[in-house]
Amino acid sequence: MKRFFFLSILIVTSFLSAAVGSSQDWASLKEASKNIRSVKAEFLQKRYLQILTKPLLSEGRFFFNASGSLRWEYLSPVRSVMLQRGGTIQLYHFSEGVWKPEITQAVESRRMVLFEISRWFQGRFDESKVFRNLYSPGPPARVILVPREGIDRFIQRIEVVLSARPGVIERVEIEEPGGSRTSIEFRNVEINSSFSPEVFEKP
Amino acid sequence: MIRRKGLDTCLLGFFILFLGCVPISETTLSPGSSDDLPDCYVIFPAGPWESVHRIEAIIKGGASSSLIGVTKGEPSERRLQSLLLTPEGFILFDGELRGGEITVRKAVAPFDSPAFAKGLMEDVVLLFLPPQVRPTTWGKAADGTRICRWEGPDGCRTEVWESKDRGWRILRQDNQGKVTREVFLKGPFVSGLAAHMELRASKPASYRLRMTLLQPSP
Repeated sequence: MKRFFFLSILIVTSFLSAAVGSSQDWASLKEASKNIRSVKAEFLQKRYLQILTKPLLSEGRFFFNASGSLRWEYLSPVRSVMLQRGGTIQLYHFSEGVWKPEITQAVESRRMVLFEISRWFQGRFDESKVFRNLYSPGPPARVILVPREGIDRFIQRIEVVLSARPGVIERVEIEEPGGSRTSIEFRNVEINSSFSPEVFEKP
Repeated sequence: MIRRKGLDTCLLGFFILFLGCVPISETTLSPGSSDDLPDCYVIFPAGPWESVHRIEAIIKGGASSSLIGVTKGEPSERRLQSLLLTPEGFILFDGELRGGEITVRKAVAPFDSPAFAKGLMEDVVLLFLPPQVRPTTWGKAADGTRICRWEGPDGCRTEVWESKDRGWRILRQDNQGKVTREVFLKGPFVSGLAAHMELRASKPASYRLRMTLLQPSP
C-alpha cells in the first residue's frame, strides 16, 4: 500500500501539473482537468539518499488514459512496470530476458489509489483526505502538497514545479523525513496524444 | 489490506519455507604459506565503500521480486548500513550494524520484524565483511581450488573458495556441518566489489538473491 502510494504521488503530481497553465488557480485547474484524455511522458528520477554520495538515477516513461488505464515503467537501472487497467493491477520486473510477475499484487490498495487519482484528476483536491494543498502562481508556478497525519511519516512535502509551457511539468520534488528526497524531471510530455491500448495490457 | 497479505506471504516465503541442508565433507588441504593469507581477503572490499545493487529475490516455487539494495561499509570498524528500496525508490528497510548491534532506522511491514533485520544484516555481513579472526586453515585442495577456512566458537564455519572453473564462492556452515548459505561471486571486481553475486540460503528459510552491481563508489 505505502509503496503504491509513493508511486501514485509521482503520477498524480505529474498529471496535476499537466493540467495547469501559467495563470491558473484552483478553479482553472479544475476546468483544465476536464480536457485531459491522455498523458504520455518520459522521466528522469534522481533519488538522493544520505547514505550515497551520488544520487541514484532512474529513467522511465508513463502512459495514462483518462478511462482509467495507466502504465508506469522504469527502463533503467531496474526495469519494471506497473499496469493498471480499470480495477486490475499487474506488476512485473524484467529478468533474464523475460518479464516476470512480482510476488505481490495488492489489488485492493491499488484500486483505492486509482480512486484517489481520479478524484485529483477532476480537480477535486479539496476532497482529499491525504493532502493539504497550496497553489503558488510563481513564476514558476508551483503546487505544494503537504501530507496530513499518518502519511507524514513517509513524505514531508511535495512540490510540483510547472513549466512556462502550459500543460507541461518541469519537475517534482518529494521530501522525506530524515533528509532523503526525490527529484523527477519530466520531458517529452504529450497531452492527448494517441497510443495503442496494448501499452496497458502487456508488459 | 490485500497488499499487506501479499507482502506477508512474501515474508512467509523467506522465513517459513524450509529445505533440507546438505552436509558437506571436509576438503583436505595442502597448507598454504603466510604469503598466501592475503588471498583469503581479496573478495572483500578493504576500505570504505558504498554500492547500489539490483536484487532479484527468488523464493521457493520461483516467485520473484525486484529490489534495489544500497549498502555502505566501513570494514575497519565492521560497520555496515543497508537499505532496501522498491524500484520506485521507496525505502522498505534502513538498518545499520555497528559494534555488533543492529539499529533499524526505518522499516515498513513486513520488513519491520527483528528477525528480518537480523537475517538481512547477517547476509550483508557474509557478502561484504570477512570474519574478524585469522583463518584457521588455508591452502589448496587436490583439484587446485584455493580454500580459506574460518572456524567460529559456536561451531559454525565460513569458507572462501576460489577455483579456475567456478570462480569465487563463500560457504557458511552451521555447527552440524550443513551449508546454510552459499554465495557465488563473478567479476569483474570494481572497487573491491563483485559485479555479480548470488546468495543461496537454505536455513532457516530457503531463498536466492541475485545481485548485480549498478553503482560502486570507493
